[in-house]
Amino acid sequence: MSIALLPRMSRITPWSVAKWTLAICIAIVAAFPIWWMFNVVFADPGQPVSLNPRLYPTSFSSGISNIQRVLTETGYLRAYYVSVAYTILTIAGVLLVSSMAAFEFALFDFPGKRILFAVVMLSLMVPMAATLIPTYLLVARLGWLNTMQGLVLPGLASAFGLFMLTQFMKSIPREMLEAARLDGASHFQLYWHVALPLSRTALVTLAILTFMKTWGNFIWPLVVSQKPEMFTVSQVVSLFNSPLSHTTVDVVMTANLLAAVPPLIFFLIFQRRIVEGIASTGSKG
Amino acid sequence: MRLTKSLPNFMMLTPFMLLFGAFFLYPILSGFGYSFFDWDGIHEPAFVGLKNYEMILNARSSRIAATNLLTYVMITVPLGVSVAFGLALLVDHFQGFWARFFRSVYFVPVVMPLFLAATIWRWIYAPNFGVLNLILGWFGFENVRFLTDPDVMLYSLIGVDVWVSAGFNMVILLAGLKDIPRHYYEAARLDGANKLQEIRYVTLPMIRPVMIFVVTYSFISALQVFDIPWLLTGSSFLDYGGRRDALLFPVMDMMGRGFGRLGFGQAAAYGFLLTLVIVAITATIFAFQRKKENG
Repeated sequence: MSIALLPRMSRITPWSVAKWTLAICIAIVAAFPIWWMFNVVFADPGQPVSLNPRLYPTSFSSGISNIQRVLTETGYLRAYYVSVAYTILTIAGVLLVSSMAAFEFALFDFPGKRILFAVVMLSLMVPMAATLIPTYLLVARLGWLNTMQGLVLPGLASAFGLFMLTQFMKSIPREMLEAARLDGASHFQLYWHVALPLSRTALVTLAILTFMKTWGNFIWPLVVSQKPEMFTVSQVVSLFNSPLSHTTVDVVMTANLLAAVPPLIFFLIFQRRIVEGIASTGSKG
Repeated sequence: MRLTKSLPNFMMLTPFMLLFGAFFLYPILSGFGYSFFDWDGIHEPAFVGLKNYEMILNARSSRIAATNLLTYVMITVPLGVSVAFGLALLVDHFQGFWARFFRSVYFVPVVMPLFLAATIWRWIYAPNFGVLNLILGWFGFENVRFLTDPDVMLYSLIGVDVWVSAGFNMVILLAGLKDIPRHYYEAARLDGANKLQEIRYVTLPMIRPVMIFVVTYSFISALQVFDIPWLLTGSSFLDYGGRRDALLFPVMDMMGRGFGRLGFGQAAAYGFLLTLVIVAITATIFAFQRKKENG
């Protein structure tokens, strides 16, 4: 730690020693698995574990060749495309569809408003287990297995997103809408030019939370994408890790690491937004 | 007349409501319908009345899954929430840079998707290469078969679970802690309260609403546990649950019946039963909370 920070921890008491020790030990437990995954990928494959327990990276070049091998010799790159498309389309769809509905629920009155909103909010209580099998059967009957629309469309009507954006849009001053309407703006223009730009913070938070949920979704791709050309990253990672895969641990860990990179980068960039977004779900729920 | 005036409103609502109807309401209703049929997804469904429910309630596998789930939930929810609360208190005792630093580090596991948490820990737990057994070995312990010893497997799962979720609950609880006015603590201190009494008489009552949210949310996700045990045991639709079904849980059992044995009617019934249990528990927690507030 730097000298500038030291004067603040004025006195060294048994309590402050205990506090720091505990905080640092927990930090090691929290970060170690991710650190270790990185080390396994960037380790000299010749060294046995007993001599080199992979507590730090030892070989940059073997890590690079691991990554090259996984990306070129397996279906990983293809799965990456599928996952990226699945995630981007889901984020775009969730933002558009739920902001349009939230705009109405937050700022206008119309017949049936309260009951519609109540029904959607009730769905927050229903677990995913209830809809999984029948949604699969519906998607199968539509002929959408192994298609992008089969992956994306069932996840778009996000009750959570609608709730969050409705809460946020309630704070938009009605006078702004009135003023825009007097200037001749249509209903859709009010949404597009007034409400959406004013909701930017909430939209970004929802986009980030949707990203984490979609990239990490395991169970839905597992049932919908059954052909290798539609496999997502989560499925390929689980295949690498399956008992029958017969791959060495450094290759498996490379597959894991590549799947971890997008969420980790997102976390580094949007850390504050992610933490605040999650913290606010607690106070509003 | 009012309806024509509201036409623009309804047009904006249409995309959401169509998707909501098609992929939420319709599946719920049709799933309830399927649960009375014997259907492999290919041939004509045959009406069987309540037989699916009977089969599930009498099956050995669903009883094992229910027992596992009960043990798991009873441990993982209190443990996970306590750890998260402890972390929140700890971080709250730091200021400025170090508070942000520790909060970020404790939060990092949360950004890992559940499937990755499982596939990373699978190797940490591994018998030979696994770093955990290596470390235990340094202290003279014998090799623990974390993922194949039926007496240990559940605790291995709980370990991953707490690792990946503690930071999430911590962040929510931390926001609740920040909302407690500082003068409450000063008043307690003037009355001669020590640190533990402060937590007991100021912190806990003040963050009750947030705590209830965290507990409810943890319950709901624990009851649907799937990704982590599925991957820790290297499961497939035909073979799942690990050795002696030690990590068999209801959603896994439902998936196996549906996709492994092509019993979609049974799987739908299973999903419906699970929903009943989860909604009942959520409603109980809410009712309990309301009663306490009124009494």
